[in-house]
Amino acid sequence: MKLQDAVLVLRSKNAGVWHITIDIIFKNRELYERGQKKLDERLFLKIYNKKSVEYFKCDNINTIKVSFLRDSAAGSINDSDCLGALFYIPLLDIDI
Amino acid sequence: MIKALSLMGQLGYGYHKDSFLSALEENIDFIGVDAGSIDSGPYFLGSGKMKANYDAARNDLEFPLKKAIELDIPFIIGSAGYAGADIHLEQMVNIMKDIAADNKLHFKMAIIHSEFDKNYIKDEFLKGNIKSYEKNKEINSDDIDKSTHIVGQIGADKFIESLKQGCNVILSGRATDASVYAAYPLLMGCKPELCWHMAKIIECGALCAKPASPSDALIGAIDDNCFYLKPADKQRKCTAESAMAHSLYENINPFIIEEPDGTLILDGAEYEQFDERTVKISGAKWIERKKTTIKLEGAKLTGFRTIAIAGIRNPLMIEQIDDITKKIKEETIKSYDDNFKINFRLYGKNGVLNDMEFLNNPYEIGIIIDVVANNQTLAHKICSIAKSNLQHYDYKGRTATGANLAFPYSPAEFDLGEVYEFSIYHILETDNVNDNFKVETIEF
Repeated sequence: MKLQDAVLVLRSKNAGVWHITIDIIFKNRELYERGQKKLDERLFLKIYNKKSVEYFKCDNINTIKVSFLRDSAAGSINDSDCLGALFYIPLLDIDI
Repeated sequence: MIKALSLMGQLGYGYHKDSFLSALEENIDFIGVDAGSIDSGPYFLGSGKMKANYDAARNDLEFPLKKAIELDIPFIIGSAGYAGADIHLEQMVNIMKDIAADNKLHFKMAIIHSEFDKNYIKDEFLKGNIKSYEKNKEINSDDIDKSTHIVGQIGADKFIESLKQGCNVILSGRATDASVYAAYPLLMGCKPELCWHMAKIIECGALCAKPASPSDALIGAIDDNCFYLKPADKQRKCTAESAMAHSLYENINPFIIEEPDGTLILDGAEYEQFDERTVKISGAKWIERKKTTIKLEGAKLTGFRTIAIAGIRNPLMIEQIDDITKKIKEETIKSYDDNFKINFRLYGKNGVLNDMEFLNNPYEIGIIIDVVANNQTLAHKICSIAKSNLQHYDYKGRTATGANLAFPYSPAEFDLGEVYEFSIYHILETDNVNDNFKVETIEF
């Protein structure tokens, strides 16, 4: 099953000027538990080419939340996504 | 019970008059609207321009303000003109003056300043009181010197002071979104954990409802031990899921939200469906901070931009596009060693995701040649040269000796003016920081 079919919400957004945060809210507990097995911290380090990310599990809402520093500040010359709105795209087709 | 009405997610987005009027039938205690953010980038803070222009801001304020005066309830505007520096406040004060004069409205308005004097910031920096925000890189004194404006996201303190002075209308510089909505219920003695948690969710208007909208109103009502959220528009509802999902929005940590005067802790929060359109929320904790901490925002000028937009459709050229752009970039930099940066954005290939892109099968590329230089004339010149080099580039296997690019516009180059970047997004922790934020009052 692809991640995009297992979620109610899959989004990314700036959390301030220097951070991206990704929210993955699963449709139900079963999919949330299944998703966690694949979507561990290491996977995010690899996809987003980071040395560290902040990884949170929110059990009460079947949610994984991951935040990390941007390579360049929002809206700077090297940035291509001022809102941080499309950082979730590489996650859509991940098989869980 | 204290009832707050969040007019919309952001001033300038428009609001629904019908749902606004139906919300007013519920005995609303105050109306709030947040006008600012950093979402649209550093331009507005750097340049001093407003994001919502005069017409858009006036359109969203005029009728709701009239109703607030008529009902004698406070009307609170946060982060004026998007970035909330003094120059933004001035432009918003002019809008308020025009609204008051044209409608013969009489009210007392507080103007809260949140722009800092650079010398003060410099002193605090030298004293070591300005710290990195969640591991972003430390600032240096050059970042401070070059900033055109430095503002602080203020907390509820000055809003409360303004309300105590009997101001019905508050126009604030940069403020945390939640402060706009927390101040009034805090003054009325509601529990801080309820005030801040409610404020944090309703600041985006009906964005936390289903169907979601940033251009519609949301009602937050604080009771003794819980609060309620309900969209003003009867076609929308708040569900436990929609409210929970929204409390994660735009925060680094889902369980902790830092405000200037304390920390909101959400891991014990409970969301339950109260009726079909209403959610009941409780269980957050609030820990008051001993010393107010202020998030600083600064922006500096980095140059002037010219871009050119063109389409590429030849398969052989698309195959070689990375090499082609690399060579043009190298040659341009070699030939003109002035102060500029050139960047090719390849939409249809990797324009959005850059190095993260995982597909590679473009059949068409929209290219933006993006040049930022230390003056507009130079940016235009470099962009124009890079454009013509790309237009006539003799790539391997080229048969079309006319031109390589489809230009949708004449002229192909656009001068976009000043380019800014965020220079400061850091935390200031010092004594009596709120003394910097002056409150003026003005009577209409």
